[in-house]
Amino acid sequence: MSMIAFMAYKVNFFLIIIGPALVFFFIKYNLWSAIYSLKEGIQIQGYDFSEMINYQVWVLIVSLLSQGFFSSQLAEDIRLGRISSYLIYPFQFWQFHLASFLGFQTIQMAVAGFTILILFGSDLVQVPTWEILTSGLVMSFVVGLIWFSFQFLIGLSAFWLEETWVLRVILITVTQFLSGSILPLEFFPLWAKDLLSMTPFPYMTHVPVKIFMGAYEGSLPILVGILLLWLGIISLVCGLMWRSGLKRYSAAGM
Amino acid sequence: MVIECHGLTKEFRTYKKQPGFLGTLKSFFVREQILNRAVDHFDLLLEPGALVGLLGPNGAGKTTLMKMLTGIIVPSSGKMKVLGFTPSERKLQFRRKIALVMGQKNQLWWDIPAMDSFLLLQKYYEIADGDFKKRVGFLSEMLDVEKVLHIHVRKLSLGERMKLELMASLLHEPEVIFLDEPTIGLDLVAQKNIRDFLRVYQEERQTTILLTSHYMADVEALCSRIVLILGGKKRFDDSITKFSQILGREKFVTFTFERGVDQTSEIWKSHDPKWKFEGRQVELRIPEERLRELSATILNQYPVVDFHTEKMPIERVMSTLISNPHLL
Repeated sequence: MSMIAFMAYKVNFFLIIIGPALVFFFIKYNLWSAIYSLKEGIQIQGYDFSEMINYQVWVLIVSLLSQGFFSSQLAEDIRLGRISSYLIYPFQFWQFHLASFLGFQTIQMAVAGFTILILFGSDLVQVPTWEILTSGLVMSFVVGLIWFSFQFLIGLSAFWLEETWVLRVILITVTQFLSGSILPLEFFPLWAKDLLSMTPFPYMTHVPVKIFMGAYEGSLPILVGILLLWLGIISLVCGLMWRSGLKRYSAAGM
Repeated sequence: MVIECHGLTKEFRTYKKQPGFLGTLKSFFVREQILNRAVDHFDLLLEPGALVGLLGPNGAGKTTLMKMLTGIIVPSSGKMKVLGFTPSERKLQFRRKIALVMGQKNQLWWDIPAMDSFLLLQKYYEIADGDFKKRVGFLSEMLDVEKVLHIHVRKLSLGERMKLELMASLLHEPEVIFLDEPTIGLDLVAQKNIRDFLRVYQEERQTTILLTSHYMADVEALCSRIVLILGGKKRFDDSITKFSQILGREKFVTFTFERGVDQTSEIWKSHDPKWKFEGRQVELRIPEERLRELSATILNQYPVVDFHTEKMPIERVMSTLISNPHLL
């Protein structure tokens, strides 16, 4: 049902789902082109121009695969008392939203798959092996779950806040900067990298990108374990917020 | 007992804000809190198979009570059990056994035919295919909506939508149904169709139903018991007959005459006459024990062309009590 809803309006679909990631990629492509054209053959923090573009292409793919979902509908439904029907149906509220997210992810997978095929035909990206591609896709899916739980958490804040879009903007901005979406994490000082490794942010973009590039040196099972741990922590916070929020819920407008 | 509430209370906290920019600025630092007790120490006992009318004016607390009984909102204090469950725990087994129909709120998906929504509800409630087909057939025939099952909901009339909403909430055969103004906004024929359906359905299945409605015709046709809520408090809980007699055991009788009659006659004086059409119609308040004798006298002595007792005494009782709650 959510897949049908997402695709119901073609312009909206393009603007919301594909547009921002593509625009962001072209801005970064032009920016890095300008920087690298200053001096021929230059390497910055170990990245030459083609490696940087390769990195940024995979950032685009990872963001399409894992960071496209937004919870604005949930926040609005809570504020306007529209979640009441779902409180009566015999399933858990998060299950409904997870199903909606999975529907959305299916579309995103198709969009990302199409984008990957086009990019493989260009010289912008190095084509990975099937094994690397599969690892990257699995990792991106788990990252997508973390992104969904962050979004769900922000949506739940509507039990307390009138407007939640500010939180969403903060999450997007902070994630893009701290996850290596704008600058690869090699550009950060060592102490900042150490500090970041204790947060979920590096796993949101930098690590999956490195996996797609075949440059990740750590153990994949341990990585999945860390991601699941973060997923568990955020889900726990969501559970507490849900229980506490429901006590405040007045089902206004019903 | 199917529903059991003791001292059920719900308080809402709101904040007062002065108008204008200065008011907004002031409320940023100092906010005056207002505590609104929507439901106040409410007790209620409902036996299996009861069909009870929950009455009260707007803002009396009816919907808040419904929300608490269905587990949508959490009570501030008090105890309540519905089918042995505590609604605010929102256990899945509990949710499978109840239904809430809101006349002012859609649960059917607007952009798809009702049948698609029903199929989704079949999955939600895990209804076996055979049972589902049987129930859809039975309910759609009873509600006369077979022809509109496959039409987009947004293209249907309000009456058809309401019937389909009812159908959607009955597919899982709930043991308790909460009906919040199910006939609101419907024309007289559609109201009657919904009422007739509910009466037959309830008689056949003995489902427990708690109904709120501002239409006394709904209440009179369906409910044998009335619970009146005013200002969040329960003010009456007894049979509909006793409710209609709250203001005294009197009948309101209207006589229409062929021509204007003498309004100064002694016969009218002790019965609070309300004259209309220059003495050609009068409404009298007559004690029940004097009804036969006085009616016979008037029929014999005056050129009566029509007379009738009031159609819905509970409507008069309701409107009197809403404006004068101290009478209770």
